[in-house]
Amino acid sequence: MAYSDKVVDHYNNPRNVGSLDKNDPNVGTGLVGAPECGDVMKLQMKVNPQTQVIEEAKFKTFGCGSAIASSSLATEWVKGKTVEEALAIKNTEIVKELSLPPVKIHCSVLAEDAIKAALNDWKKKQASAAEQPAAAAQQ
Amino acid sequence: MTAITKKGTVCWRCHAPHSGGHFCAACGKIQPLARGTDYFAFFGLPQKLWLDCAELEKLFHQLSWKLHPDNFVRAGEYERELSLERSSQLNDAYRALRDPVARVEYLLAHAGMRKEGAAKQQAPPELLEEVFELNESLDELRTARASSTDDSHLASLKQHLEAEERKLETKLREVDEELKRIATEWDAAFDAGADQSQRKALMSRMNDVLNRRSYIRNLVANVQKELAEA
Ligand code: FES
Ligand SMILES: [Zn+2]
Repeated sequence: MAYSDKVVDHYNNPRNVGSLDKNDPNVGTGLVGAPECGDVMKLQMKVNPQTQVIEEAKFKTFGCGSAIASSSLATEWVKGKTVEEALAIKNTEIVKELSLPPVKIHCSVLAEDAIKAALNDWKKKQASAAEQPAAAAQQ
Repeated sequence: MTAITKKGTVCWRCHAPHSGGHFCAACGKIQPLARGTDYFAFFGLPQKLWLDCAELEKLFHQLSWKLHPDNFVRAGEYERELSLERSSQLNDAYRALRDPVARVEYLLAHAGMRKEGAAKQQAPPELLEEVFELNESLDELRTARASSTDDSHLASLKQHLEAEERKLETKLREVDEELKRIATEWDAAFDAGADQSQRKALMSRMNDVLNRRSYIRNLVANVQKELAEA
């Protein structure tokens, strides 16, 4: 099976590989896997709490070329978007952009899931950070 | 040959009532496969997960002999086609049922539970975490090997991975045991005539185990590959 040029490009020059501090309250971390093949993907985003804009995104993927390309593309896409906009990204858009064949669709699903997982993690952190001072005030 | 369902059809050749099976009981002609025939029914077996492998092999040989295209060289085109198609299905069916894990995979796939995106629950986070960390160690090993300046570092990495590999092998055995236990439950439920929702629940548990198994298997293979090169 031949990879498309865009996949090869992301594979050879992955954007935004690396990690962010997962203990930072403004960083959301998503770790997801594809049971079909056993591949795993970690995606992290740093969100500006005032503007809700995603300022930084990093990923690390242990998986096939399509999964690496999908996550690399995902980090490019989410940067500069608001949380709501990023949550609206669909795996089908990734499939289209990278011309993934049907057997590689699950690799793009992984990237969509990772975005959602990371932002959910971030939301949870925000919520518990908002609760904290209230709890302290009660004492 | 029993159990291939779909009653009420007739033989395409002699019009005798045909209750399933690969051949007409009256005239002996090869028959088209009833729709929805699964691989278990293909061998005339119930949809149970415990199988006597010797028995299955015997059935396979009998069928492959009966269905073999050589027996149909002088038959009409329709029968030749049926025999060709059926022979290749027979091989698929045998391959799917022969191995106990593949058998569970097949059962779930046939019920539409192994489809991509279907039942897409994630593996337990601890497992994903572990898979991720081990992959990072593998990366580290690759880097250390490439630079090869610090032999003791490389050696300790190797040792760490060897220990991890042994742990993974144990985990794989545990997962297989778990799968076996649920398969036994499935067979008991089958005999007891369990309803759809009970079956679904068992299948979804098996699906979980298969998912976990696939991460661990993948990891074992990666670790072994790296260690072989290290
Ligand atoms: S093959 Fe599994 S993520 Fe691509
Ligand atoms: Zn007949």
